[in-house]
Amino acid sequence: MTSVAPRPILLDDANWDRVLEATGNKAAACFQCGTCTAVCPWGLVAGPSIGVRSVIRQAQLGIPGWTNEVWRCTTCGACEAACPHAVPIGEVMLGLRSIAWDERKPPAGLPGMLWDVYWDGNPWGRPPSERSRWAAGLDIPRFDPAKHEIMLYIGCTASYDRRAQKIARSVVGLLRTAGVTFGTLGDDEPCCGDPVRSVGNDAYLQEIVKANAGLFLESGVSRVVTVSPHCYDTFARCYPDLDGKFQPQHYTQYVAELVAEGRLAFEGLSDESVTFHDPCYLARHHDATEAPRSVIGAIDGLELREMSRSRSETLCCGGGGGRMWMEAAAGERFADSRVREAAATGASVLATTCPHCVACLEDGISVTKTQNLKLMELSELATLARPYKPGVEA
Amino acid sequence: MNNGPHILVCLKVVPKSEEVGVDRETKTLDRANARQEINPPDMNALEAALALKDKHGGRVSLLSMGPPFVAAYLRVGLAMGADDAYLLSDRAFGGADTLATSLALAEGIKKVGGVELVVCGEESSDGATAQVPPGIGVWLGIPQAMYAMDLEYQPENRHIRVTREIRDGEEVLDLPLPAVVSLKVSTNEPRFMEPDRWTTQRTDGTVTVWAASDFDINPEHLGLPGSPTSVAGLKEAQGAAGGRRREMVTGTPGEEAHILYQRISEFLAGERSGAKER
Amino acid sequence: MIEPSYPAKEANGIWVFLEQDDGELAPVSRELAGKARELATQSGAKLTGLLMGGELASVQSAAALLDIDEVLTISHPRLQQFTAEPYAHAAAAAILARKPDILLLGATPYGRDLAGRLAVMVKTGLTADCTDLELEAGTGLLLGEVSGFGGGVLATIRCANHRPQMATVRPGVFPESTTTRSSPADVAAFAVEIPDSVCTVKVVHREKRQGKDISKAERLVVAGRGAGSDLPLIESLARLLDAEIGATRVAVDEGWATREQQIGQTGIITRPKLALVCGASGATQFTVGIDKADMVIALNQDPEAPIFEQADLCIVDDLVPVVRALVAELEAHNGGAR
Repeated sequence: MTSVAPRPILLDDANWDRVLEATGNKAAACFQCGTCTAVCPWGLVAGPSIGVRSVIRQAQLGIPGWTNEVWRCTTCGACEAACPHAVPIGEVMLGLRSIAWDERKPPAGLPGMLWDVYWDGNPWGRPPSERSRWAAGLDIPRFDPAKHEIMLYIGCTASYDRRAQKIARSVVGLLRTAGVTFGTLGDDEPCCGDPVRSVGNDAYLQEIVKANAGLFLESGVSRVVTVSPHCYDTFARCYPDLDGKFQPQHYTQYVAELVAEGRLAFEGLSDESVTFHDPCYLARHHDATEAPRSVIGAIDGLELREMSRSRSETLCCGGGGGRMWMEAAAGERFADSRVREAAATGASVLATTCPHCVACLEDGISVTKTQNLKLMELSELATLARPYKPGVEA
Repeated sequence: MNNGPHILVCLKVVPKSEEVGVDRETKTLDRANARQEINPPDMNALEAALALKDKHGGRVSLLSMGPPFVAAYLRVGLAMGADDAYLLSDRAFGGADTLATSLALAEGIKKVGGVELVVCGEESSDGATAQVPPGIGVWLGIPQAMYAMDLEYQPENRHIRVTREIRDGEEVLDLPLPAVVSLKVSTNEPRFMEPDRWTTQRTDGTVTVWAASDFDINPEHLGLPGSPTSVAGLKEAQGAAGGRRREMVTGTPGEEAHILYQRISEFLAGERSGAKER
Repeated sequence: MIEPSYPAKEANGIWVFLEQDDGELAPVSRELAGKARELATQSGAKLTGLLMGGELASVQSAAALLDIDEVLTISHPRLQQFTAEPYAHAAAAAILARKPDILLLGATPYGRDLAGRLAVMVKTGLTADCTDLELEAGTGLLLGEVSGFGGGVLATIRCANHRPQMATVRPGVFPESTTTRSSPADVAAFAVEIPDSVCTVKVVHREKRQGKDISKAERLVVAGRGAGSDLPLIESLARLLDAEIGATRVAVDEGWATREQQIGQTGIITRPKLALVCGASGATQFTVGIDKADMVIALNQDPEAPIFEQADLCIVDDLVPVVRALVAELEAHNGGAR
């Protein structure tokens, strides 16, 4: 490396103010140790990694020029979990993304995705009238607070994506087996706002939250159980809790409660062994690692073989942070690494519980041509274990 | 840097194509269940206009012709960055073919005043004629460049350089302003609405509405009366004439491939010997 | 109504705009000549080919051998390269002088430019992008069949009172006429002034693409989204079948194919004998470009993909192993099904 004379960095007050406002000054506590950069999963795959430390430094000083790196962040939170000063790095990244919208320079494809949410109420551009097609034949009622214990919130991906629709159906199956009374908002179910939040468009997110909170209040929604950890995170993090009345949960947390309360049990499953991939949005953002494991634990005969990167050390599948709407080149996908790790445990099933993880990991299995490993969403695995309601004759 | 032209973008609100059908009994268009959208190529036109404004300054006006509900869509355009919006709304404008439509729009453009560049989408997803932009060119007496893929404004002489698609290739045209251009669909990605224009423009933006009486046009030249062409019949499009066989081929990939190989060979042998008729 | 430029009863003759470029007649000109001859025979009208340009001597001889009754030339230095305004100005003058009943043009970029401007200059009706033409029983009026709403709806359009009845026709819709006259048709020249005021647009530069014209392909392998996982395999398949490669808009957007290969509503309409559609879902905007194929084979992993409604043979499977096995079989049988 040739020696270069040091140049002063000129700080621009206007930029500084703009960045501070966009990031809420959350980068302030960083003391530049660099642990974040070391644990970022982008360092594991081919291609450029994210210089997390320098991005945060730029955010502290208001120095522009972070663009591409900031968009590769999947908001997996590995950096946050390792940060000795608990800097909310993911939120700084999203704040920096919001500046790109102000400058009219977001990555290709993202404006189109926001238009889809705006016109169609979902980031996949599918018609609102088709939102409940996944439930054909299931006769799911409209949520009525007088009759239903919970409102089941499907989310856009499980509503429209063919693979994820199967997850919604198996979750419904478990709830019905346990005798839970529930309803949904049908074709009126709005997008929770996660895709909008994940690409850094805060103004639009606030509008979505306000509209949805109003709808939930009007509809008497209290306990909400979601299919996706992303919807759960958005409800828990961004929505007003209405003095404790609004109680979102991920379905694994609710099902674990059902099992503990004796409302749901499993006959067992003896010819499979499972390894569990913790979704980032449960394991790190909410410390929610035990509920899925207690469901697995309630299945007789099912052996759980943990990967070393499990629980809060889980390796991101690559789908968070809006990455489902951005391209990742072959060879740069975390999921490829993750499925090899899963296969190495010798388990026959890789189980997870997030529609984005399901998509990324199934893709990973197909691309790496991994043999003898099938991916199942947890509700699908639980369904295979012959669930029943204790105390009821079969 | 405020040397940019006054650009006017023509927007049309259309029913979403995939949601429109034909009522088999009445043989008329069934759009009752179709949602509305801004014609996708017009979004590309608006993005191109806003990109020119980003670079050179100037002003972007929006013009549309349709029922009153179109105003809400024009406000979306204002929230994307346009400066003002106009709507020609009157029963007298209704039922127009491209001759009468281009006349009404041209009059609207004259009334807005000072427009130097008219930008349209290449065609609308419903009628799909692509005839309105050249029509506007004739009524306003200005030159045209259609199917543009790129627009470059030259401030020194107020010309516009257009790269456009032609049969077997592309050409670059140089036009003096005022001029009319149409944008090829998907040549850019329309920007999302600007955060600081959410409330000011999207909900509260001003749309100026004009009726036929605001203009000095012979009513016989507008709408249905002003349209030389008319629809003589309507039906839903089928697949190929004669329908498709839709025969499923199943098995392992190897088995499927083998069946394909046999069927393709048979088919091509039949074609060669002239056994099949076109 | 708006006054017609001349009354219908004074109009006669069918005109076809013979698009030419650098002395070569465009293929669509031959397609239109064929269809127009059919219409002219039906109605007894005289069929005129309108040929415009700068130096026309050689293309004029080719035009005179088409199955038409007369060639009307407009030759002027300012028409040497196509630009819409001078062409429209000159054509309008000829139309007003000669009063044709029907004028047909190819819906090429130049044809549509000219037709769009011309129709408003002479205050008449223009039916765009016709997929069929016929004469109405009884009235003899031209009926143009057009599609709208992304190809989902077919409408028949007529222009009752205004003349000429104008229509543009998509290239590839009608077959090229192969009939030639035994002796050349009469050639008449129309003289016209072209003022500076209509010549303000300059052609800075024009570039022909070197790529293939898939609208003429007899065999097509179409790459859709699903084909992205193994493009070389698709290329091998096309080579072994002696087929051209077409693409859906998704594949072009992804950069796996060029716009010249894009099939569909905003791309190319094809009429192959055989189309093998790999990994395309079959949105209407695409299938309008392939639905005239004699045989359509569709491969897609999604059993609910709409392409299966538009296919003769349907395979619901991961296309990669199937195509791989097909390629192996074609190679084994030595250069494939030729």
